[in-house]
Order: sequence, then structure tokens, then C-alpha cells
Amino acid sequence: MTAATRFASEADLLREEGPLLVFRLDEEAFAITVTAVHEILDVQPTTPVPNADLFAPGVINVRGVVVPVVDIRHRLMMEQATDPSRARIIVVEVVIDETTQKLAFAADTVEDVIEADITRVEKVPDLGAVWPQSYLRGAFRLKDELIILLNTETLFHPKAASQAAA
Amino acid sequence: MIEQAVEAFVQEATEILATLEDQILSLEHGATQQKVDEIFRALHTVKGSGAMFGYTCLSRFTHHFESAFELVRAGKLSVDSPLIDLCLAARDIMSEFLAFDGDNAGSRELLDSARVAELVEKLGRLTGEDAASGMSVGSTPKTAVEEMRLERTHYRISFVPEPHALKNGMRPDLLIKELAELGEISVRYDASNVPALSELDPTEACLGYVITLTTTASRSTIEDVFIFADDAALTLEETEVTASLVADPSSPIPPEPTTGQEETGATDARPATGSAGPVARKEVRSESIRVASSRLDDMMDSLGELVIAQARLDAVAQDIDDPTLESVVEEVSRLVVGLRDATLSIRMLPIETVFGKFKRVVRDLASDLGKEIQLITEGGETEVDKNVIDRIGEPIVHMIRNSIDHGIEAADAREAAGKKRMGTVRLSARQEGGEILIAIEDNGGGLDTDAIRGRAIERGLIPEENTLSEHDLHQLIFEPGFSTAKEVTSVSGRGVGMDAVKTTLDALGGTIDVFARQGRGTRVILRLPVTMAIIDGLRIRLGESVYVIPLSSVEECVELSDHDAARRSGRSVLEIRNEMVPFLELEHLFGQSGDGQAKRRVVIVRVDGARVGLVVDDILGQGQTVIKSLSSFHSSIPGLGGATILGDGRVALIIDVATLVRSADVPRAASVRRAA
Amino acid sequence: MSKTILSIDDSKSVRDMVQFTLEPEGYRVVGAENGQQGLEQLMAHAPNLVITDLNMPVMDGITFIQKARAVAAGAGVPIVMLTTETAPEMKQKGKAAGATGWINKPFDADKLIAVTKKLLG
Repeated sequence: MTAATRFASEADLLREEGPLLVFRLDEEAFAITVTAVHEILDVQPTTPVPNADLFAPGVINVRGVVVPVVDIRHRLMMEQATDPSRARIIVVEVVIDETTQKLAFAADTVEDVIEADITRVEKVPDLGAVWPQSYLRGAFRLKDELIILLNTETLFHPKAASQAAA
Repeated sequence: MIEQAVEAFVQEATEILATLEDQILSLEHGATQQKVDEIFRALHTVKGSGAMFGYTCLSRFTHHFESAFELVRAGKLSVDSPLIDLCLAARDIMSEFLAFDGDNAGSRELLDSARVAELVEKLGRLTGEDAASGMSVGSTPKTAVEEMRLERTHYRISFVPEPHALKNGMRPDLLIKELAELGEISVRYDASNVPALSELDPTEACLGYVITLTTTASRSTIEDVFIFADDAALTLEETEVTASLVADPSSPIPPEPTTGQEETGATDARPATGSAGPVARKEVRSESIRVASSRLDDMMDSLGELVIAQARLDAVAQDIDDPTLESVVEEVSRLVVGLRDATLSIRMLPIETVFGKFKRVVRDLASDLGKEIQLITEGGETEVDKNVIDRIGEPIVHMIRNSIDHGIEAADAREAAGKKRMGTVRLSARQEGGEILIAIEDNGGGLDTDAIRGRAIERGLIPEENTLSEHDLHQLIFEPGFSTAKEVTSVSGRGVGMDAVKTTLDALGGTIDVFARQGRGTRVILRLPVTMAIIDGLRIRLGESVYVIPLSSVEECVELSDHDAARRSGRSVLEIRNEMVPFLELEHLFGQSGDGQAKRRVVIVRVDGARVGLVVDDILGQGQTVIKSLSSFHSSIPGLGGATILGDGRVALIIDVATLVRSADVPRAASVRRAA
Repeated sequence: MSKTILSIDDSKSVRDMVQFTLEPEGYRVVGAENGQQGLEQLMAHAPNLVITDLNMPVMDGITFIQKARAVAAGAGVPIVMLTTETAPEMKQKGKAAGATGWINKPFDADKLIAVTKKLLG
């Protein structure tokens, strides 16, 4: 399995080798590149971490490993889910700052994990959405739907990227 | 050559070079034949292996070094200080070569550099060897083993595979090919078992083979060819060449009914031996084995899982309340603790492995600064967790540098002050209860209290009017942003300030203190917990959350009712046996609400020498706690030292009392004693 | 046409080791995690040599060998078992099931290459 490749600018990224995880938040489809998808679990109680950043409010136990839970809705400046108990918790492995880490996040539904070879990435159309530019990489089409490709490195980085509205 | 083999070589060479430095340094205290032999063997190994694994530049350079040592070994060259300096420099260069990934532009550049050329020339002058001649990798001196005379022997081999052999993947043609590679052969077939064509099953083996082989290979090499055919009918005999084997190919040869090999009566043929190489020189190995660190970590992980599972077993057994079950569970618990102790002890290494490096540091530094300094070490056999060994080196080096740079005066100044010209830096280690104490002390000039006070005021660390004792002022050197201008010399103060040392200590769960006396010297004491990965923890509850406090930090637990809490000058204090102990509400520190009950419990801990209480809702119990580290999202939050998984599967965070208390900004004066 | 080797082991690092050792020698290496997958790969690739571990989940090595010998793709192909010092009786069991040879774990690169050459030529 090839590790997620890194890109200097969106212009370079015409070819990107998966795996790509596609999931939905509020009906909108997003995708991120991950080194591996470990588990997809039902929502479970999170142990809150005191004085933690709002982005990473707690940790969970996944088969004996303590995994941080990140709140990507918070990062993407979306509202909290209408029915959090129906969410899916996805445990993935990503590369941040050149080290591989395990983390978990909640999504409404998981659509697919594809070993994709995206040959065409477009700019995100102006949908009037509020997602901060620094976490977006572009958009691509899959089966007639436009999927927003997120930037794994910045989205999951412990430090928030400097904001610039989409 | 696959990477793993090369990796193993690099690791081995790194270890050899590390030991080599100690060995060379120890020559200063007297050169014995044994020491010299050991050094020579080390050089020889690196030279030889280097050539094998693609580090020929390293190998060629080492050749010169080895030649010089050959003369020392033969008694033709005496060991003196200049030679030792030369050897140390050569060893350093070998290290540099090893750092290149094999032979490449970098390593060749180094080999051709003026630096190396100069060193080679100096070595050459000692050995009388021409630098140019050293470029050829000379013949490695084989230790005395006579080359065996190789003789050709003749064998008759009869081989009848059993019927299923072909179905099971055996290829007689390949076996014959293998034999053909060993010498000269001729093959005849034994068709006596071949059935009529109508009954022939081509997948069943029915042919036998008779092979004559003339070879210098050993008997065992020939037997090896048939290693997977042990259920075949196989005979192997030595014969005279004149034996009539050239018979009529059409006449069937009766198959040999016996299995296994027979030896003919002793003939004049001397047993040929295949291995004519030099006998491998086995080093006398001490009774230890090399284990990859990662395996040890895996083992620790498994042990951690076991401890957690055993906690669950305990919990379940308590619910069931059956005495027979309980006694078994107790025994299991006892065994797990035993296993835990044994496993943790595997990670323990003598601190000598760290101390050893410093002799070189002191020597070089002292000479750079023109001071006369000796290093004394004590308690090197004290064992410390590997994790600690890996990380404690840098802080200690920093403090040694401080001692040498700022602490110990120049020889003349010392003499004028009535001290011995030679200053001493003493490194000592000992175990005290659940802690390891490491002390770095010097008999230099101590700390300049006034300068420290001035600096601290300047940096806003303490108010102008302060009544801090000399001792407390000294501890300020560990505050971030403290370092006095004087410390930023080329030798020390390179951004690895004392506060970085303290941070490392904190990360290891330890503490640091400094004691100094003007004009007499300085002593820094490090306290470290003995084991790191599994600790005894006290489980406490705050609201719905469970936290764990390492038992080693806990002094006692008391109750807190409204009565006891007295407010004095804005701080919450508790009176315990005539002592006023300040306390902190974990609720406030963590931003999590507690029970709201009136009756609370207080865990008294000791941080930086002072007692502080932590108020919690309830104390749940104590037990073995497996420490799991926090990810980068949470690891730098003050007050947290990791996480663990409880018997019921929930995650409990482990409290790092030191960073917790410090982050609360509690003035760390010693607890106030109530006047009698 | 290069020869194909099927490496069956539930440990990825062992499969990697086999691959890294034999590919530079000019062989093509395909892998499987257990006996079941091994059979699938056997029938899909018709390898020239099979190297299999014995202790695997889903389907162990001995069972794999028995089943392999019962299908066309497995008749006559050399099968090497990975055995351990502590269970020498497995050699016998394996042989009885139809294995061609064995190599002891842990093995080094040279040994692996030697056995491969021995059975493949």
C-alpha cells in the first residue's frame, strides 16, 4: 500500500493514489486520503480530555489502543450534527508531519473506500459554503456527484491552519 | 545483499565503534596486551565486514588504523598520549564513514579529503607504511589454520525415489543437475521397476538412478543434495575409481533394498573436506543476546494487555464472590506481578552505558578550555529503564558542560583560592526506594546568587522585593527564559538551556534540584522513577470521569469537609498535623464539574519538594496501571501524563502531578509551618 | 518468462522477506495470508513453487498442502514448508500430506535462495 503522497500545490495534484475515504456530513460528500482505514464503529462514549482544544475533545478505546477523537465539523465550521447518536466513528491512519498517526472522527455515513486514481481535480465551485479554504484541496466527480476533497495534512493537524474563507 | 543484512552490519559496527572509544580511552590508564588485542579485533571486524557490505571506503581507511595497531600488538610500537589522540581521531573518522549509506560520493570525498590524508600520513609514519599502498585492501591475515589438502573422491550413489515423489514436486533432474555441479558424474537408469506401458502412470515415479560422482566436495555436501528426499531409497558409497561401474547400460541393475547410507570398508581415500576457509574466529561472547528494541516494546505491550485483562478478571471475580475463584484469581494476580517485574527488568540497563560516553566529553572540553579536570563516576552499575537511558544523556551532558565551562575555575584561579589545580566533576547514581538519584557535582565556584537574583528580577520572574532563600533562588535557573547572558558561550548555552533539561526530566516523570555553595561547588540532583511503562496508580473520580494518579507521587489521602477548608490570604489551605498544606480543586484545574457533594477527598502529593493537596470526589482504589501515551493532540496539555484503559474498557487519563501543580501557578515555597 | 513463487504466511514481514529476497533473483512473487487464499492464488497463478507457513488462521499449512495436491494446479508443483525447531514432527506430517521440502524458520536470505534454486533449477 503506497503512503499518501504530498503535493506542493493543487496544480500538481492531477494524479493521486488512494485509498480515498468518502463520507458524508449533512448530506455533503467529502473525501480524504488515508494511509489506512482501521475500523468503522458505532458512536461510543468519548472520554473528555480536560483543557483540550475544541478540535480534539477526547479519546476512545479502540481494541486496547487509546485513540484521539477529532471534531472535523468544528474545523470545517459546520454546525453540530442533528442526531449525533446515529453517527459512525471512523478510525483511520493518516500521515501528519511525516509521522503516521491513528485517529477517529465522526461522520453521518461512510460511502466508500476507493483506491482511486483521480486524474482530474477541479477547484471547489462557489457553493456559498463556509468551509475554510486551507482544509480544501479541490473537488472531483464520482458517479455524477461532486465530492469535496479535503486536505488530510491540514485538516487533522493539531494546529489549526490560518483561516481564509472559501 | 538485502537491506536487513546491511542494517545488521551497521548496527554491529556502531556498537563496536562505541566500545572502541572506551577501549582506547582506557589505554591511558595502562595498556595491556588484552586491551590491545581487543582493539585490534574490533578494527579487523569492521574492516572485513565493511568490505562485504558495501562500505569499502570505511574498510580502506580502517586498514591503516589496523596496520598501526598490528605493530602495537606485536610490541613494536608503544602506546603514548599522541598515539591515543591519533587513535581517537581515527575512530571518529570511522564513525563518519559509517554515517554515509555505504559507498557514495560523500564517502569517497571523505576518503580523498585533506583531513583523512593527513591522518593516514601520520599513521603511516608510525607504521612505516606508504599511504598509497594502503589503498589496496590487503590480504586479511587468516588466523593460523592450515589449508586442507583437497582430494578427489569417487562415490557411487543409488537413488530410487518413492512413487509419490513426482506428485510431491520432486525433480530428479534438478537433483542430478546439483550433483553435476559438484564434480564429474555419469548417470545410469534403473528401469527394473518400470511397469508395462499399458499400466504406466506417468505421474508415479518408477525409475531408479545410479550415479557415479568424482568430486572434492565433502560427503555431507553430497548428502545435502538429497535433503528433501529422505524417504527415497538412497545409498552413498565411496569407491575405487577402477570399480567396474561402466557396465552395459541395458542390463538392469538390481535395486538396492536398503535405505540410508552405507560406508564401504576403509579405503585409502582420505576424507575430503569441503570447507577450506579460515576458521571463523568466534569472539568470546558474554552471556547475553542482542534483541531488537521493537521486540522489547512489543513484549511490553503484550504485558500491558495482560495487566489490563487481569484487572478485569479481578473485577469480575469480585462480583461473583466465590472463594475458590478468588484464590485462583489471587494467584494469577501474583504471577502477573512477577511477570511484570521480570519483564520490566529486561528493559533495565546499567547507567554506565550513559556515563561511559562522558569521559570523552570531559577530556575534549577540558582541553578546549585549557582547564585541568577529571571525571569520577560512581554507581555505574545502577540499573535504569532503557527509555530513561535513551533520553537522559543529553541533559547530563549539558550539565557537565555547565560545570566545566562555568563551574570549575581555571587551574591558576583554583590554586590562588587554595584549591587543588585539578577540578573534579563527579557523576553518581544510586537507587533509593522507587527512585533513581543521579547527581552531577563539581568542586568549582558554585552559583552566583546575586547574578541569579538580578537576572530573575530583570526577567520578571520574581518581584523586586522578595524574600526567597538562597536555595529557592538557585532553583530559578530552571525557569524558561532564564539563562544568564554569560551562559551563551560557544561551548554551552546553545539553546539547550536548563529549562530544556527540566522539560526532559518532566517528560520522564522525574524532578531536578540544584544545591550550590559559593566558592565550594555545585550539585545537581535528578530524581527519576525506576520504571516507566507500568506503574502503581491511584484511581480517583471526578464527576463521571476517572483519573489515575501515580502512586509514587502520592503521600497520603485525607478527607475534606467544609470545616477544614480555611482560606488564608486567598489560598485554600488545609491543616494536617500542624502543617498547612495548600490544596487545589481538580474541578477548576480541569474545567470539569465534580459531584457537588460536601464531603470530598484530598490526595496529598509532593511536587518540587512541597506538599500540595488535590481535591477529588472519591478515591476508587489502586492498582497496576499500564501507561499508554497520548497522541500529539493531547500530549502537551499540562497536567496529563498519558492514558490507561480500565477494567471496564473505559479510558482514564493519567495525571502528571508535577505539570499540573506548576500550571496552577502555586508559589512553590515550602509549606508553611504553623507556629507552635 | 520468469518463474512465479507463491508465498503463504499470515505474517506480512515474512512475506515481505520472501519477496525482497527472491524478486532480485528474477522471480515473480505473489502472496497469500492463509491456506484458503493460498488455494485461490494457486489456481489463479499456477506458480512454479509454493512456500508456505504451517500455522495460519482460516486454513493451516498442512491442510493447504493436502488440498493443493488434490487439484490439477497443485499436482507436481514443489511445495516448501516453513518449519520451526520446536516442532520437527511437522516435517513428517507435511511430507505425508505431500510437501516437497522444508526450510527452518528463522531463515536467512541465502538459505531461501538456495532452497529455491534447488527446487526450481
